[in-house]
Amino acid sequence: MIINIKYFGLLVDITKKKEEQMVLDESNFSVAFLKSKMESAYQELQKTNYSIAVNQAMAGMDTNIKDQDIIAFLPPFAGG
Amino acid sequence: MKNSTRYTRQIALPEIGVLGQQKLQNARVLVIGAGGLGCPVLQNLAAAGVGSIGIVDGDIVEETNLHRQLLYTLKDCGKSKAATAVTVIKELNPNVEVRVFPEFFNTQNAFEIVSNYQIIVDCTDTISVRYLINDVSLVKKVPVVYASIYKFEGQVSVFNYKNGPSYRCLFPQKEGLNAIPNCVTSGVLGILPNTLGALQATEVLKIILEIGSVLAGKLLLYDALQYQTQIIDFTKNPKEIENGLKSGFLILNKDSDKVVIALTEETFLEKCRQDHCVVIDIREVYEEPKFNEQNVVNVPLAELENYCGKLDKSQEIVLFCQSGQRSQLALDYLKKEGFTKLSHLEKGIESIKIHLETK
Repeated sequence: MIINIKYFGLLVDITKKKEEQMVLDESNFSVAFLKSKMESAYQELQKTNYSIAVNQAMAGMDTNIKDQDIIAFLPPFAGG
Repeated sequence: MKNSTRYTRQIALPEIGVLGQQKLQNARVLVIGAGGLGCPVLQNLAAAGVGSIGIVDGDIVEETNLHRQLLYTLKDCGKSKAATAVTVIKELNPNVEVRVFPEFFNTQNAFEIVSNYQIIVDCTDTISVRYLINDVSLVKKVPVVYASIYKFEGQVSVFNYKNGPSYRCLFPQKEGLNAIPNCVTSGVLGILPNTLGALQATEVLKIILEIGSVLAGKLLLYDALQYQTQIIDFTKNPKEIENGLKSGFLILNKDSDKVVIALTEETFLEKCRQDHCVVIDIREVYEEPKFNEQNVVNVPLAELENYCGKLDKSQEIVLFCQSGQRSQLALDYLKKEGFTKLSHLEKGIESIKIHLETK
């Protein structure tokens, strides 16, 4: 299955990309699974506070991700 | 002001009208931070005729602020931001009543500063202060209009609006992680906070006017470089609301601890005359001298648990006994039970005996 991941704020600096497409063998998995997968790809993410949205709604760790879902990795911003 | 044409263009909008303008006039809004976001928020709220505005900022104007903080000019460098902002705003609209708090918002002053306002606008630049604002707002049940920026991107949302989701529901607080950089460390496009501050001010007006749909439970994302906006929905997380309330009440109670507890004779007698206080004589019924002011009830220590079980935890309670020792014990007990507004007559009724006799 294919999913699209979008990065925001500081996470763009960490991953060096605004978005990426991922092709996965699994047909159904959770946000927690994706999070740990991405955190091993970009280790700096482990030390960063961020939330994950699936199809423009904030998701919990057990939310399921399906083919063609759009995932957003969102950190809080401090600046004002 | 009645004959002024200042607001005619917005009164002309059916959604606002004369009634809406009156709502704006009656509104009390606290703007925390008078920097990149705070400047456009203050300008827009004052121009729209928001009647009472509070400005909180302990910072001074620096030259590096001038590319984005458009309330200030070169001659203001070195001066207090809050004090300078009030001068500019009063020139823009003398009808607005402005109160200045030239200090940084912190756990010591938070509740006192917030006390008179209906809406808080979070224009700060530090994550820990954003959690503090959220938690104070939860306890006070006033909404927070939030915005934050990073380089070319911004976020806007409204928290704790009509019992809705909180900042903590969106971003639960986590310990031991890297600090989120602010504009000082990461840099920022000067226009960006002006765009986001204008969006924040719009939400404030919508809340006051009760029009449109407020960004509660919605996070607006703005990307200036790609010109992309999108809205992410988020819901209330009861556990996070509880965390926020807990930390808010901790701060509130810390303040009240400092203020009250040990009363002198004068403040004690003053409290005895205030109707909102319950003054409890915890001595046995036979003990002398009697002290029968109007708010005083006699509840011997052993019966205190039963009596206070019927009272609201936020009820202000004043305790006294003969010398102050038993009332201290009773106070400690009620504190553990969760009562938040407690005090006792430090040296007991004996200390005011002379006063009573000469009365």
